Amino acid sequence: MAEENVLLRVENLVKHFPIQQGIIVQKQIGAVHAVDGISFDIYEGETLGLVGESGCGKSTTGRTILQLFRPTSGSVRFDGVDLIHLRGRELRLRRRKMQMIFQDPYASLNPRMTVGEIVGEPLLIHNVARGSEIEDRVANLLEMVGLNPYFANRYPHEFSGGQRQRIGVARALALQPSFIVCDEPISALDVSIQAQVVNLLEDLQKEFDLTYLFIAHDLSMVRHISNRIAVMYLGIIVEPADRDELYLEPLHPYTQALLSAVPIPDPVADATRERIILTGDVPSPVNPPSGCRFRTRCPISETICAEQQPDFREVKAGHFVACHFAERYLQKSLANYMERR
Amino acid sequence: MSNVILDVQKLEVTFKTPAGVVHAVNGISFDLREGETLGIVGKSGFGKSVTMMSLLKLIPSPPGKVRDGKALYFGEDLITMSNVQIRHVRGSQISMIFEDPMTSLYPVLTVGLQLEEPLILHLGMTLNRARERAAELLSMVGIPNAKDRLNDYPHQFSGGMRQRAMIAMALSCSPQVVIADEPTTALDVTIQAQIMDLVRHLRDELGMAIIWITHDLGVVAGLGQRVLVMYGGFIIEEAPVKELFANPLHPYTLGLLGSLPRVDAKSHHRLVSIDGLPPVLYEKPNHYPFAPRCKYAIERCWQDNPPLMTLGPQHKAACWVDAKTGKAYQHG
Repeated sequence: MAEENVLLRVENLVKHFPIQQGIIVQKQIGAVHAVDGISFDIYEGETLGLVGESGCGKSTTGRTILQLFRPTSGSVRFDGVDLIHLRGRELRLRRRKMQMIFQDPYASLNPRMTVGEIVGEPLLIHNVARGSEIEDRVANLLEMVGLNPYFANRYPHEFSGGQRQRIGVARALALQPSFIVCDEPISALDVSIQAQVVNLLEDLQKEFDLTYLFIAHDLSMVRHISNRIAVMYLGIIVEPADRDELYLEPLHPYTQALLSAVPIPDPVADATRERIILTGDVPSPVNPPSGCRFRTRCPISETICAEQQPDFREVKAGHFVACHFAERYLQKSLANYMERR
Repeated sequence: MSNVILDVQKLEVTFKTPAGVVHAVNGISFDLREGETLGIVGKSGFGKSVTMMSLLKLIPSPPGKVRDGKALYFGEDLITMSNVQIRHVRGSQISMIFEDPMTSLYPVLTVGLQLEEPLILHLGMTLNRARERAAELLSMVGIPNAKDRLNDYPHQFSGGMRQRAMIAMALSCSPQVVIADEPTTALDVTIQAQIMDLVRHLRDELGMAIIWITHDLGVVAGLGQRVLVMYGGFIIEEAPVKELFANPLHPYTLGLLGSLPRVDAKSHHRLVSIDGLPPVLYEKPNHYPFAPRCKYAIERCWQDNPPLMTLGPQHKAACWVDAKTGKAYQHG
């Protein structure tokens, strides 16, 4: 894709949360390295999937991009403007174009507001409509996400999970944004309802030329909805690539293990594929391992992995990877590579 | 065919709530054979867990009540057992692994103590012997330095390790049946793969029968031998795992399979969504519970609830319509 189509450029984004000790005099004794220097672009009209295990910094990344968390360092350029130094009115102006859909539809809607108030609030805050105009717009938005406009006077508790998530989508769309961060929008929903919401998101994307950052831990759903996918592990991105490229030829051992761990709803295919089972757990982000972060669980780690952080480099066109040995098994699967060693 | 060890007949469970009586399980029957792994699939709130809990009398009563039915375990009815009798079955004959390893371990007792308790109670071991056995069990489920870890409290274990400890606990008295209630739902995929691998391994080694409750069809595909699909408190399809995925007969199962994107998908296709909402279980349905969401529904579905009918070798489904052709079956 051409350079000029970049909608969002994230460079060396870092977000550390301080850990403090002391009751009266607080001093910082450490930091949670939630996001530790990540860079990626999002092109106009595409969906970038961000996957990783819980606690690897996916949601923090999403929130830091929208400046809901202020980054420790780095830059976030949206439409060519660096957001991290913007304050107050100027930031609010930019926020019209970037919205968020939250994970938990039970917690992200105010139970004391009616659906109409919830969906109409962004319009009120940003002063883009008033009075009966708001009501019309709300009715419109509700219809757009497949809800009956008469629902505007009801409260969130009267709706099911899937319907609530539709309300969240309507709220995100209220200001006609160009970019939406979807933070695990379906993981709290039942399987049969998940498909409904995913289809809705796809339809809306086509209709309004939306760009999505789709955060999820469900690799099969991410494969379904994304154009490109970035895999995150312990605060860093280890491998971003085109969707099919990533699934057909994953180069980072973590990506390969992650893919092989996803259950396939087909007993025949499931029985025949290679399985790489990782040992141990994800290390603590307070003290991430030296060198390569994945080395403590990596089946092919060597001494160099503990000493040097692997370069984040483009191995093939559009396919980046942060592993010392990426080139060595470019053509072979990890299992083959392990066998040869 | 191997022996049936658990035979559940017409089990019916209700809960009394201020809003009305919830019909959680509506007269279901199934059996479990020696050494087999039975998967139970269905969305949350469709009676999967309630069924299993009622077998072990773990349902708080009131409000819960087993209205009807039998659960014959080696010929003895679990439902009519007294509390004293069932206590000898629970944990030693039939044990359970719960969904959330964060909340199902007792936080103020060490993992070691919690592991030793069933050994002392059920097997009459001495404290020292139980301690040794507990360390063996922990290392069997793949926890390193098992002896030292016995003195740890649950919060010192990670999620995956807690679930391993739960599994060790469930297996401690060599039960005939292990009921695993969504044991991997709270875990990350790489940890889920570890746990599934462990269970597969232990199953082959120890030969117990497993009932694996899940909402994830992918997990069942990798582990189960026979599958029951539940909807609205009914069993709507029963088949060997390969048969179910190759040849699903019930429209709900079809929809469920179509709504799942696959990680090994070759091309992008639109997901099949099941329209409408799951049923509310406040009244006992007099029609077929899936009818309002089913695109094949015919008149008969609204009048007559289909029983589980045998439609192929070992394959049963509760549906009046052949979902492949959209025509009603001639029999029944």
